[in-house]
Amino acid sequence: MKNLGFLFAANLAIWGGIVFYIFTLMKRNRALRRDLDLIQETVKKESGK
Amino acid sequence: MSAEHELEEEETGTRPGEGGQVLFWLTAVGFVGALAAIFVFVPTEVTEGIVQRIMYFHVPCAWVAFFAFFIVFFCSVLFLWRREREWDIYAHASAEIGMLFCSLVLITGPIWAKPIWGVWWTWDPRLTLTLVLWLIYAAYLMLRLQTAEGSARAKYCAVVGIVGALDIPLIHFSVLWWGSQHPAPKIITSEGLGSGIDTSMGITLLVALGAFTLVYFLLMSLRVNIEKMKDEIDRLKKQRLYSN
Amino acid sequence: MNSFFGQVRAIVWKDFLTEFKTRELFSSMFVFAVLVILIFIFSVDLSLVNSEEVGPGVLWVAVIFAGTLGLNRSFTLEKENSGLQGLLLAPIDRAAIYFGKMLSNLIFFLVMEAFILPVFMVFFNIDLLSNLGPLLLVLLIGTLGFSALGTLLSSLSSNLKTREIMLPLLLYPLMVPIAIGAVRLTEQVLTGGALGDMMNWVGLILCFDVIYLAVSIMTIDHILED
Repeated sequence: MKNLGFLFAANLAIWGGIVFYIFTLMKRNRALRRDLDLIQETVKKESGK
Repeated sequence: MSAEHELEEEETGTRPGEGGQVLFWLTAVGFVGALAAIFVFVPTEVTEGIVQRIMYFHVPCAWVAFFAFFIVFFCSVLFLWRREREWDIYAHASAEIGMLFCSLVLITGPIWAKPIWGVWWTWDPRLTLTLVLWLIYAAYLMLRLQTAEGSARAKYCAVVGIVGALDIPLIHFSVLWWGSQHPAPKIITSEGLGSGIDTSMGITLLVALGAFTLVYFLLMSLRVNIEKMKDEIDRLKKQRLYSN
Repeated sequence: MNSFFGQVRAIVWKDFLTEFKTRELFSSMFVFAVLVILIFIFSVDLSLVNSEEVGPGVLWVAVIFAGTLGLNRSFTLEKENSGLQGLLLAPIDRAAIYFGKMLSNLIFFLVMEAFILPVFMVFFNIDLLSNLGPLLLVLLIGTLGFSALGTLLSSLSSNLKTREIMLPLLLYPLMVPIAIGAVRLTEQVLTGGALGDMMNWVGLILCFDVIYLAVSIMTIDHILED
């Protein structure tokens, strides 16, 4: 069981990297979703008038 | 007018649809399977010990990085040929994901090498090639960041995407011939891994490769979705500007 | 005049005239190359290392660094006073613009190399004259690849706000095959070896030259648009 630290570090890097990337994608996704919904609503309202 | 737009939105797929759900669950299952194979199923390798398990992450990451860069090349060629925004989006998304996995390769490589080779880094051809690739696509993404959005940016990036990918075989041979002048790491070379590969190790590696490829596609769909939403927002904003 | 070569010659001639009048590009490239060589000499102890082994690397680093100055200048010069717009409006092939620019860059680099070679020979105390033929051949094929790819990327980066930063960032990683190959070949030549023993490197560099000339001709239309 020697060198367990190395295995741990490598896993940390991989999972940390992928999860961080997914997290940033989700964050951007949410922000854009909000913007998109907002503007779609505005367009709909204006065209309804 | 508005019905037509809703139809368009369905087509561009800015909302996660059925396919996205299937891909997500498939990836999740693949990942659980890969983790089980890596940490439970496969026996610990005799000479390298527990560190060898890093390889089941390292090799798939390298595969995904190379695959992603190939997709960049493919989409760049298609973009210059067809001039469709779609291909630019794919090239961008793939380059970003390729960079992520290339970075992971460069991080996990030294972590594996330190206990096995005794050094963090050697100028082994594969290591050098990966490092140079990382630099090429870092420049590619910087070019994207620093150029204003539009068709000019897409064209420049496509040219760099093509030029960069065509350089890969040349770099490969040059670092191979260059590296052969240096002594190869003595303890265990990475070739030793392939030759003495055990059936259970082979299966585990294949499962991991499959799982990481699914992750690539999942990330691609997320990333492409973001670009498409941006386009949609731009389009609506412009439309609103002109209609008022 | 209307033939492809006529167009290329006209562009090369135009660049030459500009350079003869100002002499700013050549002098800055030459002085910069000498500076690079000097800095390297300060950073390695020549009494400890074999100058035939260190020298080729220093020579090529000097050529590539100084060449980058020239490449940066090559299209920015056209951007000033909208010279590029004039070129694009002229009824000539885009590939002819690329070739003209590439050739004038190549010739500037070769002239610069001709001037720094004596400096290099004196500073490093290497006998270049006995192997001059193969050495010039290596310099020619290496510099051809450098200017082929460099001109393409310079035309691209000249449209960016951060052109001086982006050009080396894009160019240097792609230059790896030339950088390694040309240094190896130069070392081989300077130590008196036959070029024929390293035909794989010669082939690699020639491949690089051909690939990037071809890719540039195919993609230059997309870069020099609007």
